[in-house]
Amino acid sequence: MIAPERHSGEGNHVCWTYDDPESLADQAERHLAASLAAGERFWYITPRPGDAVAERLRALPGFAAATRRGAATVVPLVSTYSSDHVIDPAAQVAAYASATAEALADGHTGLRVVAEATELVSTPAKLDVFTRYEHLIDRYMRTSPFSAVCAYHRPTLGERAVAELACMHPSTNVEDLLFRVHAVPPQDGHAAIAGELDMSNHEQFRTALDRADLRPTDDELVLSASDLRFLDHRALTLLADYAHRRGATAVLRTPRSAPARLVDLLSLPGIRVEVVP
Amino acid sequence: MRTGAPAQHDGYFHEAVRYDSDDELLAVVVPFLLGGVEAGEPTFVALGERTARLVRSALPTGCAVGFLPGGDVYARPAVAIRSYRQLLAEQVAAGAGQIRIIGEVPSVSFGATWDWWARYESAINHAYDDFPLWSMCAYDTRMTPARVLADVARTHPRFATPDGRHVPSATWTPPARYLRQHPPVVPDPLQSRPPVVELAEPTAAEARAAVHKADQGQVPADDVEDLVVAVSEIVTNALRHGRPPVRLRVWAGDDRIVATVSDGGHGPVDPFCGLLPVSDGAPGGLGLWITYQSCNHVTWQRDEDGFTLRMTAGNAYVG
Repeated sequence: MIAPERHSGEGNHVCWTYDDPESLADQAERHLAASLAAGERFWYITPRPGDAVAERLRALPGFAAATRRGAATVVPLVSTYSSDHVIDPAAQVAAYASATAEALADGHTGLRVVAEATELVSTPAKLDVFTRYEHLIDRYMRTSPFSAVCAYHRPTLGERAVAELACMHPSTNVEDLLFRVHAVPPQDGHAAIAGELDMSNHEQFRTALDRADLRPTDDELVLSASDLRFLDHRALTLLADYAHRRGATAVLRTPRSAPARLVDLLSLPGIRVEVVP
Repeated sequence: MRTGAPAQHDGYFHEAVRYDSDDELLAVVVPFLLGGVEAGEPTFVALGERTARLVRSALPTGCAVGFLPGGDVYARPAVAIRSYRQLLAEQVAAGAGQIRIIGEVPSVSFGATWDWWARYESAINHAYDDFPLWSMCAYDTRMTPARVLADVARTHPRFATPDGRHVPSATWTPPARYLRQHPPVVPDPLQSRPPVVELAEPTAAEARAAVHKADQGQVPADDVEDLVVAVSEIVTNALRHGRPPVRLRVWAGDDRIVATVSDGGHGPVDPFCGLLPVSDGAPGGLGLWITYQSCNHVTWQRDEDGFTLRMTAGNAYVG
């Protein structure tokens, strides 16, 4: 089920699910090395600062030196997220924005975190809030030198919660994930949808859109679909309805012509398909 | 207010014309068209190139008869129904009391793809019955096979004859009954070869990938995309509304891709499913209608093993 990390151009926000802490430690080690090489500040955030991953990082040659010059730290989870672990999405984004600004002020090129966030999504209510936060922080990452690996322990959360989290990231190691909703740079529209949308993930897609809480501008909700391999008439209708509830027309920008023919054939209101190269 | 033979008729007055000479065709068609023009009724010709030219030359110059490109209208049955219903609705909205149309199914459709045109000829008795339409479907008996003529007689309530009569068809079978009969489908020769992909209980995503695998550039890219949409819908229908075992087979030919989706159920209950958009939200009806709109041939087969739907992208095998 676990495949090597796949980047999709927006590889600075990764959902990394793991069964074995050793595989997370490998991942954290890779990101630490890349972060130091890029002159960034690196945080490994964990609810258990003495966990196996933290121990692996601390044992690495050069980690102590990096810590002394403020380039690498193991950060206890409670100090970055609010103590009751039900986060306030906007406040959390603001916290990372100020941490990123601080990293820049200290002479680093940016901030990269690997966060073991399983505890933050351990109930359905926490999962719902946190997935909303995932999209907000994703949007922040499109314009700022902040990147994150959100690590989730699959056996604790189960396949469904893992899929709900992974689909809010531009990049993930979840192999059987059929679609993703993620942020794009402002000039590319309001969000991107990628993968395949059909009956099997219709409800999950609806939930993901609701959580992304997209805000149209100029009466249009522009969705970049360059990595969208397939969507059916139900997904087109869902997008049109979603945009309509937000007072807008959905605009789907895709290199494929089939969605345009479907919209035309079914005379679907509230959605326009722009075929782009 | 209607004129001519359907003067006292409500809805669709559907006739066939069997002719064995150009003169016979003109003997029926010319008075039919001129009568429409004279009564101020919207009057259209949707014939193939040769017959359209023949009819045009027999009409007075400047005669107010509209000529529709017959080949385009009769590319796919469900598309013909959609475009005709749109045309009819526009004419009625503009105040037409009756619309007259003479059309013909191209002879290329009298072979292995006749099954869906026979279903078309039957289904339109219902599909056009919302409109004050008087139409004639012309069949040249010199080039129409006997089995096609037998279906013509079963799907048309009456015949228009060169001597001006309107004769009931002895074997007329109402569409709700005709469409529930499932004569054997002519197999595509590709089906005698092993399929490129064969999947049991595929997800819709796996089914879509199977079509892409069979795409070797032999079919225009848009047609491949449309077949992907169709196969995805039909597999979704089979998984949701059919019965196990659901099976997908995909064949790749030099100029086409053929896919079959079978399941152990009985297929759609609504006999008009696919040809007409669903009016009552019948399960899977929209997906099947989309499939009929975009594939170059679609067949239904119902036998003791269950229900099989076959879809062709590219050049359908015409036999």
